[in-house]
Amino acid sequence: MFDSLDISGSGLSVHRRWMDAVSDNIANINTVSSSDGEAFKERMVVAQAVDYGSGEGGVRIAGAEFGSGEGRLVHEPDHPLADDEGYVRYPDIDLGDQMTQLMMAQRGYQANLASVERATTAYQAALQLGKG
Amino acid sequence: MIGDVTTTTLHAALAGLAQRSRVTADNIANVQTPGFLAGRTDFESSLRTELRQGKAPTVSGGSIARSLEPTREDGNNVNLDSETVIATETGLRYQLALNALDGKYGLLRSALRTA
Repeated sequence: MFDSLDISGSGLSVHRRWMDAVSDNIANINTVSSSDGEAFKERMVVAQAVDYGSGEGGVRIAGAEFGSGEGRLVHEPDHPLADDEGYVRYPDIDLGDQMTQLMMAQRGYQANLASVERATTAYQAALQLGKG
Repeated sequence: MIGDVTTTTLHAALAGLAQRSRVTADNIANVQTPGFLAGRTDFESSLRTELRQGKAPTVSGGSIARSLEPTREDGNNVNLDSETVIATETGLRYQLALNALDGKYGLLRSALRTA
């Protein structure tokens, strides 16, 4: 019945999840692990068009991809997790890249929100039909 | 009388415009989806043909084709500027068709009252 709202809603949800993933990456940008373990892995959401080709469907999260757990070794001998040579492992996440993604997700979210408002106006006008 | 050509034509236009706004919402929802090609709705050409042939239009919502515009690096060709323009224009045309239909119904109502 109100398909446009569902479609824009799916767009909102995907961009929201993307923002969540980016927030998680930024929150863990300084998460230290020991040099024999894996560093925090960057999370990337994979968007997929629903029912592509039919023209009505929207978008969904198809899954998540993870970045490399290799990270980078930093010499911090005083750190409790430091190995015998004084190294710990930091995740190799680029803050500039994350901020760019955050902006893209935010703008996509706003575009979908504008769609919701437009659809609401049209549906409201349709509901007034025959009242005059 | 109530389901005459004017009403059916406006109904077909409303169905087509509603379809176009759905497709535009889908395009905007997939603005960042890799490999997605924007959808384009056409109901005007078939509506015009049917009216020209003197037939009562079919209310279908039109046909959807994929845009052949050049894609970005990720294989997506949704352009947020043009989608916004299409969405706004479609919304206004939807209201226009609704007003026309409302006027038609108003006419019928006053005819029923005087009878």
